[in-house]
Amino acid sequence: MSRLAQSQHYETFDINLGPQHPATHGVLRVKLTMDGEYIVRAEPVLGYIHRMHEKMGENRTWAMFLPNPSRMDYLSAIAFNHGHVALVERAAGIEVPERSEYLRVIMVELNRIQSHLLWFGAFLLDLGGFTPLLYAFDDREKLLDLLEYVTGSRLTYCYFRFGGVYNDLDDEEVFKTGVHEFIARLRSRLPMYHNLVTKNIILRKRLEGVGPVSVEMCRKYGATGPVLRGSGVQFDIRKNEPYSVYPEFDFEVPVYEDGDSKARYMVRMDEIEQSMRIVEQALDKLPDGPIMPKKAPKLIKPPKGDYYFAVEAARGTFALRTVSDGTNTPYRMKVRSPTFSNLSLFEEASQGMLLADALAFMGSLDLVIPEIDR
Amino acid sequence: MDRARIQDDLEALAAEGRPVPEESPAEIEVEEQAAEEEQVEGEKDKKKKEEEKPRENGVLVLDHLKRGFHLDAQLNSDQVVAAAEIADRAGLSLEAVTGVDWLKEKKFEVIYDYALYAADEDLFRVVVRSFIDRDNPDIPTISGIFPGANWHERETWDLLGINFTGHPQLERFLLPEDADFHPLRKDYKP
Amino acid sequence: MGKENIPSSVVPSSLVHFAPLEKLLNLGRANSLWPMTFGLACCAIEMMSAGGPRFDLARFGCEVFRPSPRQSDVMIVAGTVNKKMAPAVKTLYDQMLEPKWVIAMGNCAISGGPFVFEGQYNVVEGVDQFLPVDVYVPGCPPRPEALFEAIMELEEKITGKRRWPRVEAV
Repeated sequence: MSRLAQSQHYETFDINLGPQHPATHGVLRVKLTMDGEYIVRAEPVLGYIHRMHEKMGENRTWAMFLPNPSRMDYLSAIAFNHGHVALVERAAGIEVPERSEYLRVIMVELNRIQSHLLWFGAFLLDLGGFTPLLYAFDDREKLLDLLEYVTGSRLTYCYFRFGGVYNDLDDEEVFKTGVHEFIARLRSRLPMYHNLVTKNIILRKRLEGVGPVSVEMCRKYGATGPVLRGSGVQFDIRKNEPYSVYPEFDFEVPVYEDGDSKARYMVRMDEIEQSMRIVEQALDKLPDGPIMPKKAPKLIKPPKGDYYFAVEAARGTFALRTVSDGTNTPYRMKVRSPTFSNLSLFEEASQGMLLADALAFMGSLDLVIPEIDR
Repeated sequence: MDRARIQDDLEALAAEGRPVPEESPAEIEVEEQAAEEEQVEGEKDKKKKEEEKPRENGVLVLDHLKRGFHLDAQLNSDQVVAAAEIADRAGLSLEAVTGVDWLKEKKFEVIYDYALYAADEDLFRVVVRSFIDRDNPDIPTISGIFPGANWHERETWDLLGINFTGHPQLERFLLPEDADFHPLRKDYKP
Repeated sequence: MGKENIPSSVVPSSLVHFAPLEKLLNLGRANSLWPMTFGLACCAIEMMSAGGPRFDLARFGCEVFRPSPRQSDVMIVAGTVNKKMAPAVKTLYDQMLEPKWVIAMGNCAISGGPFVFEGQYNVVEGVDQFLPVDVYVPGCPPRPEALFEAIMELEEKITGKRRWPRVEAV
């Protein structure tokens, strides 16, 4: 906290950031108590896009919940879908054919690249640079073409089914060529991004040392994903609690020690490269075979009990806890979303920060509001 | 991090809170094979037990591949703070706090998910659960130990009406400020 | 004569019409519809895509996204409006200057979309319950092309004739 705020001679004032504000990426509202340009208290106010996902989980069958996860986090929608189908598969004991697992991993990783690209553009827009947004969207559209070719939609995918995927690749060669072309293109563009943006002195001055988050703070608040990795903990569900076919791939978990906004920025930029590596390996190894198990159950009735499944989404650990009472509808569907925990440390971490820095910090947390409110 | 130690600590805690057989014959029927039961892992046994009678306080070691977590501790509601202290000492972080409404049994179940986020170790998940009376849903807050629990508990109160005593800011969170209902309760009718 | 003698409610916004001038003004308005930067949920990303390099909303003079309602002509309601957000949306609409238009983008803004079920407690079932909507764009989310069609429809509504060729379904 700044010295001024502690002294009683100076008055503080309140301002509202949001719920309609370009820098909050949606409808987040932050109640700010300010001392001049310094933040005394920043309290996020949620609920402006609460869409009852947990209630919907309870009043419909397991399969009818399939479109919902992609609308929670529309940027890493496929990873959220993956968490949901994997949870039900765990609960009901459904085996997934290997080809489907590979297709899932390819889709999840392409989706992760897409998410980080969009974050890259939007984050720099927050910081005042418009041009990178256009570059990022240019790349992203090429990627969306590939995703659309397989899944049929551009943003809110519903490609996974319990036991596999909805549709096999129309033409494997076309898809493979497309992905390889895209990866080659993005590989040639990433150095340009780094030259244009990462090495830019203005960006570095705005990010380096801004919004430090310690390991201890991450642990107390349950922050995961690039926030945790930016604070120096090399933790990734894909490595530490392996699921699907991730153990078969050779990839690294990027980690930076500084804990500031720059570290989180660098983690995401490096993750793009690692995701491309996973996609390449998965395409090489993609086995032939069925995409759904022979006896895919039509009616899903998991045994009584509660089940938990966590996946690594683009923003951190996404987990679902479901309580089954043995019928064809879940008794309870709890969504543990990554940004909810990541944002909860904002109040403590932003104390005494300049308002402009706090916005850079908020952008580096990579918020998707519908996923926080659910 | 010593996984066995977490288990031992939680088991000791659960044993403290277990009712003495003579004093509470009506509430919970205590099984003779309590000690044996804690060691039994797997779902079949748990399923059978749940169908017959309420589960007794204690720690279960579960099959992670089947259920998604390693340790499942059921405690009394006044022991969740002590459990949070055990988790904090062991370096676990808080993943979520949530509740389940058991309308037929007239109970709320409060579930705390802890997980170990460490670089070089496999993930270790501990679930702490506690049943409280549905008509009097009070449970102490753990936000003093894990500040991240603040939001999770506030959300649980908002949606389910579980009262976390000692919570610094138990106000409406996801719903509008003037809402007067708890929508995730099973008897909620709009 | 004092203005106070006439109750303001009976005076229409433009008492005297100059037909050619109105036409000219409308042409100008239709050619430079400035939308408000106002994303609510998933549809906002498609709205951003529409402004992005491939689809390029600038071709229709519509790319100047204004963060302030005072400077914008059209409000694209891109996403779900819930009961907590609805007063804020209404305030934003009231802050916009006349003439102003509303595009309801996506199923949520049209009717509540997938979030309507029996016993739902939080979603406003369509923004037309509290805003006058000019164009509805269905989809979950609509593609950027669909948003373009909505802009052209709005232009047609303003000027009275369609200025771009209509593409028929093949």
